[in-house]
Parts: sequence; structure tokens; C-alpha cells
Amino acid sequence: MPKIDLINVNKLYIGKNGIVHALNDINLTIEDGEFLCIVGPSGCGKSTFLNVIAGLYPPDEGQIFVDDMPVKGPGTDRVLMFQEPALFPWLNVLQNVAFGLRMAGLLKEESYERARALLRIVKLSKFENSWIHELSGGMKQRVALARALALDPNILLMDEPFAALDAQTRDMLHEELELLWLETGKTIIFVTHNVREAVRLGSRVILMTARDGKIKKEYKIELPRPRHIEDTELIKIAKIIRDDLREEVLKISEEVI
Amino acid sequence: MSVHGVIKKVEEEKKNDLKMRRLKNFFIKLVFFIILFLLWSILASIEYWSNFLFPQPKEIFITLWQGLRDGTFIFAIYASMKRLIIGYFISLIIGLPLGLCLGRINWLNETIGSLTLGLQALPSICWLPLAVLWFGLNEMAIIFVVIMGSVLAIALSVRDGVTSISPIFLKAARVLGANNLKLYTHVLIPATLPSILTGARLGWTFAWRSLMAAELLYVSTGLGSILMMGRELHDMSMVISTMFVIIGIGLFFDRFLFGKFEHYISIRWGTK
Repeated sequence: MPKIDLINVNKLYIGKNGIVHALNDINLTIEDGEFLCIVGPSGCGKSTFLNVIAGLYPPDEGQIFVDDMPVKGPGTDRVLMFQEPALFPWLNVLQNVAFGLRMAGLLKEESYERARALLRIVKLSKFENSWIHELSGGMKQRVALARALALDPNILLMDEPFAALDAQTRDMLHEELELLWLETGKTIIFVTHNVREAVRLGSRVILMTARDGKIKKEYKIELPRPRHIEDTELIKIAKIIRDDLREEVLKISEEVI
Repeated sequence: MSVHGVIKKVEEEKKNDLKMRRLKNFFIKLVFFIILFLLWSILASIEYWSNFLFPQPKEIFITLWQGLRDGTFIFAIYASMKRLIIGYFISLIIGLPLGLCLGRINWLNETIGSLTLGLQALPSICWLPLAVLWFGLNEMAIIFVVIMGSVLAIALSVRDGVTSISPIFLKAARVLGANNLKLYTHVLIPATLPSILTGARLGWTFAWRSLMAAELLYVSTGLGSILMMGRELHDMSMVISTMFVIIGIGLFFDRFLFGKFEHYISIRWGTK
């Protein structure tokens, strides 16, 4: 069953070196419960892809449907997570997780109770009264995950959420995210520039072109789960994708030269 | 010793270190002021300048004490504080929302914002002649000068705070379902709190300075006017003791009122 449909989606913006065609006639169907990873060189339009699905920016042309309903703006059925945790420093951990619930009109006590349950899932119960600056990078990103999950969205949009973390923390969060996906069956779109991370997590990986905002190739990843980032099969597949990606990266560097 | 014991010990040592450092800094300060005081006493004793121009420090304390006892200072402080607080609160009530609006609404910023920036270039005491002509020789005129001194600084500081909010906060808030009004009350205002503090502090300082300038120029009650009276009576110890009172009030508000607010912010934001 299709969850998200992109039909002839175009998005342009004015960058430093003129107009960038971030999304170029994108047609794509994302199935319900799919774990889709998008890789591509930096500046290829990966983030734009998430932003238009999140409804933060309307596409310049084309339409996006979620559950057959056109996307008209942000909605709490699809929550976006960023590379920075973007937690609010004026709220403590618990209040941050409860933020979306409070916005949805839930009472304080009820929202805190649900927030506590989520903090248990991300294993940060002890820190519910901490301020944001007291947490490490990995903890912050786990709070951000809990905050996104609080609204129980069907769709989770993740924009390189683990890119700034160290390898061990990232491994742990990969496990937690995979488990979460297996248990809840949410649709996840995960953007990354790390090919191995994409193969580690995704049930499908999409490679975007370097400059013109198109989908270059698609790969079905049918490795058994739980996966590990060091699995030989996984590394083999990642190598194939990385070679294709390198072609795109080379295109940019040739342009620069 | 157990690991726990070691941790306890290290913590204890760190605490002691901090205590020692604070004590040391306090003593440095104390010694400095004692030296300053002695220097003053010695200079006054040798009477290189006449005592009338350079009085003994103890005379200052006597005047200060007398002024407090006979109510001269109390009455002046009351008169000045009343003007300051009324003027400052009106400034906050106008300045905070104005700053928020300037930061969010572009056409308002291009119009009122530019006007505010232009008027800010005018030292607030320059409003006094206009205020006296408009309101007459009364409290309103002085309060007007206080307001003009602080409201613009508050508005501009809050505006800059709003425009410098990281866009990622706004994005995250919108994704989590914060819309129009809730975006203001739950995200924009709290995110601007540090700038609101800066603005409020700056506004207070400007209000205080404008008030003193106005009271000096414009005969009435208040601390500024006793300062002027001291000059007219050629009473140097009156002048200096009033200056001390003015410094004291300035420090008191800076430390207690804004210090508390700043402490609250620094705990949450992790600044400092």
C-alpha cells in the first residue's frame, strides 16, 4: 500500500552560484512501513526532499500525497528530525519530549506521563529533569527521537540525524532505530551521506545525482535483520553503491576544476 | 579506599579549591579598596587641596548618615525611584511587544524599526526641552525623558534577539505542531529570553542615566537635584555622598534584580 506519493515534484532555489534544481521531476512511491534511505553528494537535494514531504516548503511544481491526501503544510503525522538535535534550551528534557503533545492540546500531567514512557524507550529516564546543555551529543539526539515519537507519527523523516555522533554512539542508535522500526512498522525516510549507514538501515536505498536533483539509481536491500554495520554482505552492497556515488562526486569536482 | 570514597575526596578537594579561589579574589578586592580609602584619607590630611574641595572620607560618611537620618536621602530616593519605576515599566510594556513585532513583521521593521534606530541616535536628555514644552514643569516631563531613554534600547535589543533565533528552532516547532499564537508563546518568546534580559538591563541603565540627567537639569526633588543642591551650597561632602547613593542604587538593581534573572537563564541555557 503506498504511503507517500510524489508526482512530478520540482523544487528550485537560489544558491550562491545561481539557481539550484534541488528536486527535478521526482516521481516516487514510498510504501507503508518502508525504511527508505536517500544518499547523495552534499548539496544534491536530499534535505529538500524531506523538507517538502514535511510540508515546511511547498514544491514549486507537482504534488505530494500522504495517505492519498495532498500535503498542504506541516502535519504531526510526519515528524522531521534534523542533524542538530534542535532541542529547546528553555525546556528540560521531559518538557522537550512533551512539547508536541502540549501543542496538540494535551494536559500537562497526561503529556508528561507519555513523555516519561518515551524516555524509558530511549533509556534516558534518569535525565528527565536535566537541562539540554547537560547532555552529550548522543543523548541529545535520543531526546530528539523521543520528542519526534511522542506524537506517534506514521512517518518519521530523518535528516542525517546521526552524522555528528561518534561511531559507537551511532552504532547503538542504529540498533535502537532498527528495533523501533521493526516493532512499530512506521514509515521512515532517512537521509544520509554515509552509504554504509544507508545499507545498514534501509530496506531500499535511493541514490541522487550530484547536480540536477534526479534519482540516479535504486537498490533493494534484502539483508536479514538485525543487521550490523560490519557484515560482509552489507559492506559488499555498500561498495557497489559507493562506486556509483563516487561517479557523482567526481562530476562535481570536475566542474570545480 | 573504595572508588566511591575517592570520588568523594576529589569532589571535596575541588570544592575547597573553588572556595579558596573565591576567598583570595575577595581579599584582593578588599585590599584594593582599603588602599584606595587610605590614599584618600592621606591626600585629604596633607591638605594639598583645600578641605572644601577634597573632604575627608569620614565627612562623607557623616553627611551620608545625617542625610539618611533626617530623611533628605530617603525622600530623594523615593522621588527618584518612583519616576524611574513608572518610566521603566512603561518602557517595558511598550518596548517588549514592539521589539517582538519588529523582529517578525518586515514592513513594520522597515518603517517603525528605522524610525526607532534613528531616534536612538538622539541622547535621551535632548528630549527634555520638548517634554517641558509639551507637559509643563511636572513629573510627566521627567518620566517622558526616562521612557524615551529606555524604550528604544529595549525594543531594538528584543528585535535583534527575535531575528537571531536559530531557524532550526522554528522549523522543529512547526513540525511538532506549533502554529501561529503558540509559536509566539511557546517558542519565540522563550527563545528570545536572553535578549529580553539584555534589553531589560540596557533599558534599566539608560532609564537610570536619563533620569539623573533630567533631575540635574530640572529643579525638583530627587537624587539628581540634591546633587545639584550640593553644588549650589558648595557642599562637597553632600555631592560625593549623593554620588555614592546613586552608585549604590545602580549596583543594587544590577546585582539583585538582573543578577537573579541572569542566573535563571544561565542554568537553563548553560551559558557562563
